[in-house]
Amino acid sequence: MNDMQFTDRAVDQKETKIAAHGVNVHYGEAHAIKDVNVEIEDKTVTAFIGPSGCGKSTFLRCLNRMNDTIDICNVTGNILLDGEDIYDKRVDPVQLRAKVGMVFQKPNPFPKTIYDNVAYGPRIHGLAKNKADMDEIVEKALRRGAIWDEVKDRLDKPGTGLSGGQQQRLCIARAVATEPEVLLMDEPCSALDPIATAQVEELIDELRTQYSVVIVTHSMQQAARVSQKTAFFHLGTLVEFGHTGQIFTNPEDPRTESYITGRIG
Amino acid sequence: MEEQHIASAFDRDLEAMQAQIMKMGGLVEAAIMEAAGALESRDEELAKKVQENDVAIDGLEEIIDAEAARVIALRSPTASDLRLILSVMKIASNLERIGDYAKNIAKRTHVLAQTGHVLDSGPALRRMAREVELMLKDALDAHVQRDAELARDVINRDLGVDQMYNAMFREFLTYMMENAQNITPCMHLHFIAKNIERMGDHVTAIAEQVVYVVAGEKPTDERVKGDTTSSPQEA
Repeated sequence: MNDMQFTDRAVDQKETKIAAHGVNVHYGEAHAIKDVNVEIEDKTVTAFIGPSGCGKSTFLRCLNRMNDTIDICNVTGNILLDGEDIYDKRVDPVQLRAKVGMVFQKPNPFPKTIYDNVAYGPRIHGLAKNKADMDEIVEKALRRGAIWDEVKDRLDKPGTGLSGGQQQRLCIARAVATEPEVLLMDEPCSALDPIATAQVEELIDELRTQYSVVIVTHSMQQAARVSQKTAFFHLGTLVEFGHTGQIFTNPEDPRTESYITGRIG
Repeated sequence: MEEQHIASAFDRDLEAMQAQIMKMGGLVEAAIMEAAGALESRDEELAKKVQENDVAIDGLEEIIDAEAARVIALRSPTASDLRLILSVMKIASNLERIGDYAKNIAKRTHVLAQTGHVLDSGPALRRMAREVELMLKDALDAHVQRDAELARDVINRDLGVDQMYNAMFREFLTYMMENAQNITPCMHLHFIAKNIERMGDHVTAIAEQVVYVVAGEKPTDERVKGDTTSSPQEA
């Protein structure tokens, strides 16, 4: 199926960024993720698709230990970021989340100025030595979030005053301000109109030159458009993982076929 | 896929497209047999009918292409649905070409009827056309039934058509060497035999599309090519 990738942008390396082995997640009695093994590549967009409740968001949240905040949630198995276990006791979840950034379904800017929204992360991680340094970090992040031109004259205005699509790009800028290595996106476009969606998708394609991006989406067409690898989850198991071009033209598993072709299954 | 789509209109669209292909296939099968029959009996009326009916075949191809474009635009088909729609477009294009060959046979029938020659290749050409028509019928049945085995069988049977063509090629060559008067009718008869041989290749392409729909890949095993007339030792 290599011929299906002829439109993919050439990238120099396809090293494994995140390797998950035998991951199981329980919410109390409920077994949400069942023995998932997956290797997520660097500088690649990986899409997680599957019906509601299939565990794709739960698994995504394991990748930066967001599930730590849920008391009844129990994660077992190994998740390695660059070969290091992120569930190791010595790993500080706050530091981890600076490396593994996250963008959520609903744009959630802090009730602060646009500038402070972006500066918040770099400030708590001490990434800027002085004001000029911070200005540069903020501008760079906003540019990378493809929103600089729209907000450069109103950095002191509240982030909540932006449109939905702008807010989501602000949140992406905020996520990339701490120079993460991995960007997790949980349905980043579900609250956006088609134009804003296209802008965010274009941005995702830009971001993949530098980061490993993992996106959970209910829109199969979005998964097809933005990702190079697709993982299909069903009832807590990872049913199929492969090149997006192959998954959408000739999936191996009949469950994947039923789901992506819109059949009951 | 036995299962139904959640959007039942999608199923209806796909079924309608499949039905159009069968309709087009029926017209093409008729064109093949009528063209061969007209040739054998020097029936210029029937030949004229074949030429006229080709318009309907061409029209159906356009309808199928337009419908396929509409479904692709509106439903974003994936996996087996996508393969089915791609195959329908290619099959329609192959059927249209077969129709053109039948039309060309009908055209040459007029010329042959007027040359008043005595060569009797009609029955042999009709047998060859009959074999191609049966292969086409099986290829289209295989498409409806998603039967890759039947499709592979059709692909293998093309060898027989090629061999029939080779035999006729030699026969025509002999006639032409015997008597220069035979050259004009033999040239036409040869083109007719070649047309039928090419029809077989298009039927094979249709059968390959069936394998693609079912298996997701075109058949990989190299097919034995029976047409050796273009090889140096034959010349």
